[in-house]
Amino acid sequence: MSTTKYANAVAAIRAMENSLLSRNDLDQLINSATRNERENIIASKRGSGQENMTLEGVWETLRAYAPDCRELEILLYRNDFHNLKAALKSMIAGKEPGEYYIRPTNLDLDSFYSTISSKEYEALPEYLRNTAQEAYELLTRTLDGQLADSLVDTACMNAMKKAADKTGSDFMKKYAELITVCADIKTAYRCSRMKKQRSFIETAICGSSELDKDSLVRASLGGTEGLFSYLESTSYGDAAKMLADSPAKFEKWSDDVIMDLAETARMEAFGADPLAAYFIAAEAELKNLRIISVCKESGTDRETITERMRKLYV
Amino acid sequence: MTNGLVLAILGAALAALLAGIGSAKGVGLVGEAAAGVVSVDPSKFSKVLILQLLPGTQGLYGLLTAILMLSRIGVIGGSAAELTAAQGWSFFIAALPIAVVGLISAIFQGKTAAAGVGITAKKPEHNGKGIIMSAMVETYAILALLVSILLIYNINI
Repeated sequence: MSTTKYANAVAAIRAMENSLLSRNDLDQLINSATRNERENIIASKRGSGQENMTLEGVWETLRAYAPDCRELEILLYRNDFHNLKAALKSMIAGKEPGEYYIRPTNLDLDSFYSTISSKEYEALPEYLRNTAQEAYELLTRTLDGQLADSLVDTACMNAMKKAADKTGSDFMKKYAELITVCADIKTAYRCSRMKKQRSFIETAICGSSELDKDSLVRASLGGTEGLFSYLESTSYGDAAKMLADSPAKFEKWSDDVIMDLAETARMEAFGADPLAAYFIAAEAELKNLRIISVCKESGTDRETITERMRKLYV
Repeated sequence: MTNGLVLAILGAALAALLAGIGSAKGVGLVGEAAAGVVSVDPSKFSKVLILQLLPGTQGLYGLLTAILMLSRIGVIGGSAAELTAAQGWSFFIAALPIAVVGLISAIFQGKTAAAGVGITAKKPEHNGKGIIMSAMVETYAILALLVSILLIYNINI
């Protein structure tokens, strides 16, 4: 409790947390028979007219309460870098990138495409500038979309870590670290399955203080077994077990470790951490709702849906 | 006006000033948090208002101390006493407990009460616990007020 920043925003967020779905609500949704029934359950929790919570809406609310909070911007870096990939690829393919963009984002999407097309990289946020130029040059030189994606993804992780270090927030540093670790494990697994070359793996893996880049590259060159045995020797042994089981379980594990981090902010009365945690909670809730909706439409059984549910914040 | 009287008046001013600043900061902080909750759920206004009032008491204690001192040295009433430097310093020192403890405790009480606003936001039925936790900080302001009053009434004029 060393700072009393964002007392207003945190208190408002605490009141809003009452509208987040609980475990009980999720069980009701899983047991529901029709879409209409599900909509009624959500409406009864959030109040009439509030059924359609969107991440953009959550973001706008957070920014309205804490407009100067730089820590929160890090939460959208992945979307920003995704949008960069979308703009670059659309430019090469001669398409409009609009439908490929992910929102919310820190970028001004109205002018983003024209900025990228005209190569006015100076107009981009600093963390995106060099990556945009490098990715464009790599893409036009090699026409290898996968390699360019890897470059952008790695740059994204590095930008997150750098921005988190700059804010000095332990929460954001840990967030950036976990996102990097999860992304690196996933990339290493895919590379080992696809028997990718060392040069590609080195571009694709970012590395972190907890999972050393060189060790991870070496492990993925040794196939999935080599990767699993390396992960088991680290503090991410759970991840190896999940990956060995199924990539879907690993995805859930990745989301859950982020939620575990968010939970550490539940007891905070001030600061940016509870705001970031609320955003993470809203992200997880929307993911759960999407999973329920898709699974219900495809007739998946209740046990499977329950198994896929991400950890909740409330 | 003697130097002693100036010191005693300075002490009275400090008691009102520092405790008042502490209260203003504390009440302001809780007010920020309370406004956040009310902006989402206006029905919680009365509950968060109680929490907001709590850090305001230190300012009142400072005011009470200042009035008692000014009354004791005769400034209130129009016949100011001719105080020696030693007497002036004694009054000045008598004002310090509530001035300093009032300032610090009001700020800390504000932080505790603002955290209590979070309890009210999430679990309104546990509002009382937030009030009790904030009221605990009040103890030290009351003790400081008591010491200041005892000192003021035991200085020989």
